[in-house]
Amino acid sequence: MSGVTARGAYERRMAEIRGHFESNGDGLRAIAARSTLVDDLVLRFWSDEVRDAPALGKGIALCAIGGYGRGQLFPCSDVDLLFCVEKGMEKPAKEPIRRLSQSLWDCGLQVSLATRMAKDCERLDEENPEFALSLLDVRWLGGDEAIFSQLQDKSLAKLRSRDGRAIGVALARLTLERHAKFGDTLFHLEPNIKDSPGGLRDVNACQWLHELRTGKRMVLADVAGEISTSSGQRSGDQAHGDRFQGGEIRDAVAFLAAVRCFLHYRHERDDNTLDWEAQDAAGQQRIGLPGRASEGVDAAYWMRVYFRHARLIDKRLLREAESSGLQVETPTVVKRLRIPDDAGFRIKAGVLELDPVRAGGVDVALEPEIVLSAFRAMAESGAILAQSTEDRIVQAIPFLSANLEEGPGLWRNIASILTGRQAGKALRAMHSLGVLELILPEFHGIDALVIRDAYHRYTVDEHTFVLIDTLHGMAAEPVGVRRKGWGKEAGKDGVREPRQELEDWRVRFGAILAELQNPALLFLAALLHDTGKGRAGENHAAESTGLARSVLQRLEMDAYECGLVLRLIEMHLEMSAAMRRDIFDAETVRAFAGKVQTHELLRMLTLFTYADIAAVHPDALTPWKAESLWRLHMGAANQLDRSVDEERVHARSLVGGAGLWRKDEKIARVLALRHGREAEVELFLEGFPERYVSTRSAETMLQHFEMAQRFDEDPFQMSFHHGATQTGSVVNEITLVTSDRPRLFAGIAAALAAWGMNVVTADAFANQAGVVVDTFRFTDTFRTLELNESERERFLTSVRDLVAGRTSVEKLLSSRRRPRRKAPRVEVETRIEFDETASTHSTLLQVVTQDVYGLLRAISATLSDLGYNVEVALVDTEGETAIDVFYLTSGGRRLTLEQEEELRVALLGAIEKNNHG
Amino acid sequence: MQKIEAIIQPSKLDAVKDALVEAGISGITIFEARGHGRQKGHTEFYRGREYAVDLLPKVKLELVVSDEMKDKAVDAIINVARTGRIGDGKIFISRVDEAIRIRNDERGEIAL
Repeated sequence: MSGVTARGAYERRMAEIRGHFESNGDGLRAIAARSTLVDDLVLRFWSDEVRDAPALGKGIALCAIGGYGRGQLFPCSDVDLLFCVEKGMEKPAKEPIRRLSQSLWDCGLQVSLATRMAKDCERLDEENPEFALSLLDVRWLGGDEAIFSQLQDKSLAKLRSRDGRAIGVALARLTLERHAKFGDTLFHLEPNIKDSPGGLRDVNACQWLHELRTGKRMVLADVAGEISTSSGQRSGDQAHGDRFQGGEIRDAVAFLAAVRCFLHYRHERDDNTLDWEAQDAAGQQRIGLPGRASEGVDAAYWMRVYFRHARLIDKRLLREAESSGLQVETPTVVKRLRIPDDAGFRIKAGVLELDPVRAGGVDVALEPEIVLSAFRAMAESGAILAQSTEDRIVQAIPFLSANLEEGPGLWRNIASILTGRQAGKALRAMHSLGVLELILPEFHGIDALVIRDAYHRYTVDEHTFVLIDTLHGMAAEPVGVRRKGWGKEAGKDGVREPRQELEDWRVRFGAILAELQNPALLFLAALLHDTGKGRAGENHAAESTGLARSVLQRLEMDAYECGLVLRLIEMHLEMSAAMRRDIFDAETVRAFAGKVQTHELLRMLTLFTYADIAAVHPDALTPWKAESLWRLHMGAANQLDRSVDEERVHARSLVGGAGLWRKDEKIARVLALRHGREAEVELFLEGFPERYVSTRSAETMLQHFEMAQRFDEDPFQMSFHHGATQTGSVVNEITLVTSDRPRLFAGIAAALAAWGMNVVTADAFANQAGVVVDTFRFTDTFRTLELNESERERFLTSVRDLVAGRTSVEKLLSSRRRPRRKAPRVEVETRIEFDETASTHSTLLQVVTQDVYGLLRAISATLSDLGYNVEVALVDTEGETAIDVFYLTSGGRRLTLEQEEELRVALLGAIEKNNHG
Repeated sequence: MQKIEAIIQPSKLDAVKDALVEAGISGITIFEARGHGRQKGHTEFYRGREYAVDLLPKVKLELVVSDEMKDKAVDAIINVARTGRIGDGKIFISRVDEAIRIRNDERGEIAL
């Protein structure tokens, strides 16, 4: 046959196949048809060779391997041929094989040829495991059938029996490396339909693992089977092949096949990138979807269909690997947990399984508390779910939905999952099984959502999980040199690891994470921060805040926690925006700090911004950006302590004014809540530092106002909130509203110290009329208040007695025990600084020192003893460092230099005495 | 053809990009850079801890323009990047012998 004729015939038939594909959209049929076409072409050229040299008719078998061996040739895929020859035939076959290759290339085929004797195929070549894998799909095309039988029945049987395990291990390694190139996620905005996790290469990996394990070939779909029999050729073991379980997988394979055909035709080469333009076109043409004649669909919908199919393939591969005892995911060190016998589940060899349903018993899969506990254990340990457990949970979703109780119990479970070191893993599993949407329906809108911009690499939901992984990765210990390149993202414990050049920054920012009082709030904000992207609004931060508000209400979180989470979500782009301005300009820093208002929010926002940038794509966070972020964080933290006394509320001037800004809206709300008593409320708010307004909810301020109205009944108004274990960290809060008087702040600090309470944060504010609001958040070292409800009243009474001067500090302290002092993990050097520029009428004192029991009492008592008045106090703890800021006056004026020096000496002495007392 | 390298304050990047586009120049390459000239580093305190700030973040722009566009581009950068304070940055200009568009092998100014 002449080359020109052959090429013409091949191209005509290829055009027909394309035409059929474009009309019926059946990718599997198209690839099978091309495979048959190439079979015919190869055999024709080879028969020409045999006609000219009949000796070639014996001792040579023509075999198709790889994708061609499976009978699946995508429009622009390579054609892999194996010439299996008997000894002595290599030389005579060489020139005819070269001519065959030339003829195929002339027809426009990309051909890869291999010539081997059967016995050369008996062993795995460690350097080239891909060849052994391609042999698993070998198919006889023509030539000497006895040689093929020898290859198939002896050599490959030996290969399978002797090296089957090693081939499986090599396949797992190749899969792992390929997945790592894609950051171990299938949720890419522009995925590769062949190589991405959940792509066609994973379908092949499933088939190979299945065959290596069972000795049977896994049949993809009927079409492939039809082709292998209809062309009358013998294939491996297809007649006895296992079929993929369930129609869903078959649909997924058919979908991917259609998409890859579409991409090959579109790009006119073996380019499998599903770029944005291709996504638009695929949606318009309903590629892979039923009802080809119907109207096109939008790309976002079409991509969700793609991700659904890819997710199924990805899962199927995990199961196949699990059955084979192999790992195709980045290996995770599964932490051993002690799980009670009655937990309802157990973890064995890193796999979590729900207890079986006993006769007459209740299925634990229907119990929300047990299912959520299982995910908690998963987040903590890094275990994976057994297939049977996944199936049971999916089936139980409607019952779980009916039995789910919202409120603090649910928040406790969510918080535990979010703060588990492997939270990302547990959340992804919950998301894919529908459990996440069950407890947080707000998340549904961003399921597999593609938002197109030039920077993001992942879908919105996956970006969220990567962000959470990044935050957990920041908490890891410092590491030495790690591998570079794409594989850098996932470490051996499955938590995202940063690049080496960012290691110093990760450690520096990671220290901030350790300082958070309640990290679960940061993680919750992270989980919800982009949910608004699923809505139509212009400002996704505002949309997400609205969605989060309803979540927080259902979880019944307290006002303080709600405020932090909502502000964090609302402001999650603020720091990135500020970084685009001049961060060395005091005004930029001042404006940013003015929006953040508190150290806790600043810490959370800084960590969030770091992780958010890192989760955009693997190279988005550079040392340069990390440095800018650090500078802004530092500048804002310094600014926060130095601006409080100057910026005060002038409630009266706001009322009725136009263009009220946020903080003033809050004041307006307080006024509205006490309609008819506006004047009294205004009087109460007048002169408080703005920090007071911005850190309290309208309801809380109103409560303080009401307390101030009851001075006639009791001049020491007190409220106490026992932080009843929302998230395990019990932080109590006591607020005192009274008229300003000497030793007040010191009195409360002393009472708390006497009861063994450890102050975490505190602040003290006064209004123009001299009403003070002192708030202390503290942990209960001996769990006195938690375990003995009757002690709470005694505790409050003793605080009241102390501030009212009815008892002395010494008396109280003598009757109390002190917590045992632990050796500090980090030594903090004491620094005492004064700043006369921070306020026009008071002196700023900042004490940074080791946080030890009784410190605040020692400092505040010293201030009182020397007769200084605390105008504003801001007490903060960062890990083992206490950072206490006081705005002081002496006789209504700033301190003199002599007074500052006297105070410095006195404070150093008091701190030293407390440390060794 | 001329190569213009400009070291500017990061906060001026958006404004400089806009000014260049307005001047008819769209192709620029941007690098994140760190360094200092006469604007030396200093030490900052943060919550009682000391941090050295010896290299400052800068942005470096690179663009190659035709000879007649050079002054327009330089003016555009200077107009928006200048605050009059130390640290505004610098511009370096050098001659370029050839430009080649990899896609289609176009050469000279047409490849810019």
